[in-house]
Amino acid sequence: MQSTIQNKEESMPGEKPVGLLRLLSSKVIADSIKRLSPVSLLSNPVMFIVEITFYIVAAEAIFPQAFGPLASSSQRVFYVEVAIILLLTVWFATLSDALAETQTRMTANSLRRIETDVPTRKIVTGETGERTVSTVKSSELRKGDVLSLQKNDLIPIDADVLEGIAMVDESLLTGESTPVRKAPGDQLIGGSKMISDTLVARVSVNPEETYISQMIKLVESAKRPKTPNEQAVTIVLIGLTAIFTIIIAGLVGLSVTLGLGGDLSVLIALYVCLLPTTIGALLPAIGLSGISRLYANKIIAKSGRAIETAGDTDTILLDKTGTITVGNRQAIEFIPFNGYSEKDVGEAAFLASWHDDTLEGRSVIRLSYERGFVPREINMLDLSQVYEFSATTRTSGVKLQSGTDFMLPKVSDSTSRGRVRFRRKFSDEPTAEENSIQEHMLIPHGVPSGEIEIIKGAPDSIRKIVTKVPDSFDKEIASIAQAGDTAIAIERNGDLLGVIRLKDILKPDIKQKIEDLKLMGIRPVMITGDHPLTAKSIANEVGIDEYVPQAKPEDKYGIVLREQGQSRIVAMIGDGTNDAPALAVADVGLAMNSGTQAAKEAANMVDMESNPAKVIDVVLLGKQLLMTRGAVTTFSIANDVAKYFAIVPVLFATALPVLVKLNILQLGLHSAVLSALIFNAIIIPFLIPLAMRGVSFKPSDTMTLFLRNTLIYGLGGVITPFVGIKLIDLLLSGVFHI
Amino acid sequence: MISGIEIFDIALLLVVLVITSWYVAEYIVRVFERRSSRLDKIFNPIENLIYKVSGVDTNHGMGWKEYAFAALLINIVQMALAAFIFMNQAILPLNPQHFSDLSWHLTFMQVISFATNTNLQHYAGEATLSYLSQMSAVQFLQFTSAGTGVCVAIAMVRGFKKGSKDLGNFYVDFVRSLTRVLIPLCFIAAVFMLAAGVPQTLSGYTTVTTVQGATQTVLAGPVASLVSIMQIGTNGGGYYGANSAYPLENPTALTDVAQIFLMLLLPTALCFVFGKMIGKEKESRPIFIGAYLLFAIDLAIAFIPNPINEGPGIETRFGGFMSTFWTVVTTAVTTGSVNSSLYGMHPFAIIAAFMGMFIQATPGGKGVGLMYMIMYVILTVFIVGLMSGRTPEYLGMKITGRDVKLVMVAFLVHPLIIIIPTLVAYASGAAAAIGVTGDANGFTQVLYEFTSAAANNGSDFLGTTANTPFWNVATGIVMFLGRYAPIIILLALAGAMIDRKRIEGTAAALKTESFTFSLVLVASIIVLVVLTFFPFLALGPILGFFQGHINFFGP
Amino acid sequence: MSDKKSWASHLRPLIVLGIISLLIGGLFFPFLITGVGQAFFPHQANGDLVQLNGRTVGSYYIDNGFTSPVFFHARNESTCGCSGVDPDITPQQAYSQIPGISSATGITNSTLTSIVNDNEEGTFWIFGSPYVNVLNLNLILIREYPSVYTNYTK
Repeated sequence: MQSTIQNKEESMPGEKPVGLLRLLSSKVIADSIKRLSPVSLLSNPVMFIVEITFYIVAAEAIFPQAFGPLASSSQRVFYVEVAIILLLTVWFATLSDALAETQTRMTANSLRRIETDVPTRKIVTGETGERTVSTVKSSELRKGDVLSLQKNDLIPIDADVLEGIAMVDESLLTGESTPVRKAPGDQLIGGSKMISDTLVARVSVNPEETYISQMIKLVESAKRPKTPNEQAVTIVLIGLTAIFTIIIAGLVGLSVTLGLGGDLSVLIALYVCLLPTTIGALLPAIGLSGISRLYANKIIAKSGRAIETAGDTDTILLDKTGTITVGNRQAIEFIPFNGYSEKDVGEAAFLASWHDDTLEGRSVIRLSYERGFVPREINMLDLSQVYEFSATTRTSGVKLQSGTDFMLPKVSDSTSRGRVRFRRKFSDEPTAEENSIQEHMLIPHGVPSGEIEIIKGAPDSIRKIVTKVPDSFDKEIASIAQAGDTAIAIERNGDLLGVIRLKDILKPDIKQKIEDLKLMGIRPVMITGDHPLTAKSIANEVGIDEYVPQAKPEDKYGIVLREQGQSRIVAMIGDGTNDAPALAVADVGLAMNSGTQAAKEAANMVDMESNPAKVIDVVLLGKQLLMTRGAVTTFSIANDVAKYFAIVPVLFATALPVLVKLNILQLGLHSAVLSALIFNAIIIPFLIPLAMRGVSFKPSDTMTLFLRNTLIYGLGGVITPFVGIKLIDLLLSGVFHI
Repeated sequence: MISGIEIFDIALLLVVLVITSWYVAEYIVRVFERRSSRLDKIFNPIENLIYKVSGVDTNHGMGWKEYAFAALLINIVQMALAAFIFMNQAILPLNPQHFSDLSWHLTFMQVISFATNTNLQHYAGEATLSYLSQMSAVQFLQFTSAGTGVCVAIAMVRGFKKGSKDLGNFYVDFVRSLTRVLIPLCFIAAVFMLAAGVPQTLSGYTTVTTVQGATQTVLAGPVASLVSIMQIGTNGGGYYGANSAYPLENPTALTDVAQIFLMLLLPTALCFVFGKMIGKEKESRPIFIGAYLLFAIDLAIAFIPNPINEGPGIETRFGGFMSTFWTVVTTAVTTGSVNSSLYGMHPFAIIAAFMGMFIQATPGGKGVGLMYMIMYVILTVFIVGLMSGRTPEYLGMKITGRDVKLVMVAFLVHPLIIIIPTLVAYASGAAAAIGVTGDANGFTQVLYEFTSAAANNGSDFLGTTANTPFWNVATGIVMFLGRYAPIIILLALAGAMIDRKRIEGTAAALKTESFTFSLVLVASIIVLVVLTFFPFLALGPILGFFQGHINFFGP
Repeated sequence: MSDKKSWASHLRPLIVLGIISLLIGGLFFPFLITGVGQAFFPHQANGDLVQLNGRTVGSYYIDNGFTSPVFFHARNESTCGCSGVDPDITPQQAYSQIPGISSATGITNSTLTSIVNDNEEGTFWIFGSPYVNVLNLNLILIREYPSVYTNYTK
């Protein structure tokens, strides 16, 4: 099975942010022009200096006499040309800023829409108690408002169910495709969808207060703080700018003192060409786009720093359930003991699982049905006494009357609970299976024989309550665990009937993802509540070397601390309040939006789709952001090599014509400077897509990535301008006769 | 062009060098880690006496500030002592030639020159300095600057070593660098030089009547002891004005090869010291491979001309090949001694020499070369390493904005102190005052003077012609800043590494020990360091080459 | 530096150690080498002085300033640009001087050629290129042909 990462053309996870062309609007262009003001450029030292050089050359073009006698009128034209290109260089930088900010804002808004932009029916209860329903915008809702929700409605905001029972699709948020039943007291998650019935619910949060809105606001604001890495890159750019300033100032001085007759605008052209303008222009856009890509993947980060830290991850804690395996196990076999038959086990399992709403429970019903083990007591189930699952005893069960026929449920009533359950267990529309089971329910069964109590649960819990445990029991349990499966023991009235064998189903692309992680040098650690043998088997199957079995959510905290103690950067996921301490100390904590508020607040990222496997994507996105920043920086600096060879030969063309021998590109003497300067400017818009899309990469080991990117952006950065400048020069001299 | 046998010569020399350096490195690590040794019986009593007399608490560990300032201040004390001798040599003993005192500005320049390991000489020793000055000013400072260089490098390495609590004790390092490293190595080297024909006498110059009856003075003095430290300490300041071109300082091909070997020894050993000392020998790879790949590029450039440097300026006993090779080596390790006249060099050889001085880490002067290379590694890890998809880290330590700031400031020092004084020399008329023009040759000479001063190299074109207040003061200031500014900044960087959290043993980290990284390091250094000065080279040796010059004689 | 300690305790190592380093590097070491040199390598230590008929005529490594046509000559000092006292010439340069010396002295070309060839030096194993020491060649000529040279030596 190919991983989704490799399926994508970009080799990168998930969705892409809004496309570039869709972003180009008159508003963005106006914004980019507004940003040309020197004051707003102050935060970008490289571009600020380029703008200053524009003013100098513009002054030279307007008042050439102030800078010495003009050699010819064409020289003034040259000054104008240089000034225009310098201004364009700065504009390309502000344009990339404006584009990236608009993109981030748009992507963020589309995320927020999941919560807010939905027309909603609000119920207002009058003083006399009559209810009136009005349609309002979801963003106008306030905590405490009461909503009327109907089939196919998008639930606009987190709310508590007051009345009614309905099926809700939370797949957008939890990744769980099976609808969830919601009854009074249950919580509804904003962004999920009604698929049956009607509900009355009370809004539990204010839209503006939602955690996610706050997070979006934090990162999209124009005053987004620079990440430490961004700051350090800026320092390098300032340092290089200082060095080139000294170099050019020295050349200007020598030109005067040695009478080399260098033209100020040519020296300025060399200066601007040598400055790291490409990265200087694109640095802010690269950072913003990294956040944008995260948004597009429905993940919200509290800060840009969190994304970069994700790229540094050394150890990643993966919850087995939901990350490595699909969120449930499936029953695959009934194993009888004590002389019972498979049918006995299957029928008892059917009854004990009837009230178990988990996918696991449903898979037991399905297996029983497939094997033809539908018990005759099925019609008694609605009157049964249910023992909910208890974490202490690790058992659940049911108690009912055996085979009496006077309690036949009204199966024709499609709204009855039984009917609803069938729907849930199979599909929206009645299927052949469903009809067949209904037939069973219509058949009155024999004579009642008293009470039946069926308990299922962890084998070691069950063995404590049964009278007789055969010798083969422990062996069987162990062999099941060794195979990576889970055994659920089942007893009836104190008799051990047998074992239900449940199999973990791996997520389709998980093996590839684990392999990718390991390739990149990241150590996956699997956390599971399973038996050690089960854990080991699954870990082996997906290629994980380290796993923590029988772990409780609280244990994650210790594991994170242990890994950090060994000086590793740890990424993890969590959703429960129990996870919050670990999420808080982890370097990268990704909370599920379906999780508790405590978890979300402790984490530094939230996945709106509540898909735990996306923690891997977060790591990839972090790496991509850093790579992109490094790639454009390296490319920008490597570009200088060609520019020296383009401009230095003609720098002192009048006094030292012999230096033209350095003109290895054979550029036109009059067009060389313009060619280099034009290349220097237009490389910025050419790289805007790269900056905003990010460097594409296939997960591979660090040195392979390093070598590959160094060849593309380092060596490529040396070669590209040679080709580019030559082509521009041919165009200038051939077409425009410069 | 270079011949096959000559390539083999160089390769053979380097193989022997690398093997020797490896063991010397092992020894240096033992010395500075204060591991017990059989030599303790000899050295401990002497050293303990020195510590006692000078009031040194050997157990006191120093932070970067204390270490850096102890180094700087003791160097200033040493400069003052040497200055006293230079300025009073006429009345001091051991002056059989009755040389007069040095001027204040020459003294200012020369004490800085020797104390900063530059050894730029604006005088001809055989006609200027008394025996006492040669020994107790020149050789003295050659020892202390070499010792200081080794110490600050070791201190920097300690900063990168896991578990270090401080940078060590400068005084203890300094004493041990003299007693256990430099004096013993120089003793071996000096005895070798003596046996091979280099003089060592205090009996004054000998006047003889030549075969044909003319009068000639044989200028012998304490030369062998000076040659040993000047090469081992990568100082470069010769006994004679002609330096190692003078036959009594470097009489034969054997002494020539030996001196090349000696000047490469400690810089190469320090490449290995780094890995050995931090407990990760593989981490020496980028430093060693990076240095020697750049060195190979230097050589390749110098050996482009065909034939290589013939005729004027070249000593017959060395020939063009050995002279050019020496010129590359002496700038690659910023020694600055010469075995031929730089005027006799082809412009390409001078370009190669400039490269060595711009980079200062090929492998660079002993001590400082290592410090520079660590700086380049950090800069490369930071810029190019980002492309591996992790925030940059070196030896498991994340590189912070402050680290980058320090590196960039250290990086900035060099262009600043080369370009500004070059410009001032022309603008103020100081160049014209000593007859240096602004054409290709003249500009090369001025640029070389300040590059050599900034890189603490010491080779130069100008020599005694630059013995004027402007040139002495200007080069003095450049040498001082070129030495101490980077040392203080890089020790601050090392200080910041102490106690830094380390992420170790992760497979996700960039492997700085890989050959790929070494290649990228070399490319980065060429783009960031060498090309920066390209426009200036274009006005000097490159221009000269295009104008058809094959050496720097004539206008 | 910690404030607890007095200025004097900070200054003491700087000054005392500064002086000690002068004693070690600036006096002890050169004196030691001078002693070793005078004791074990007196010839080299005193400048590789060369005698002719019991008289010191110069240093082996310093050009002796031959001008007469009967001698081999070192390079012309004014244009050499080198140390100025380079005592060596290449064998080729020596060969080119042989006809002149031969006609001035009567010593055959082949004899002179073999003297040059026999006294090539300069290579250290494979390093360096061959050269001949002019003083050495001329002293050999003087010793081998005393009758020819008696008028030319003082």
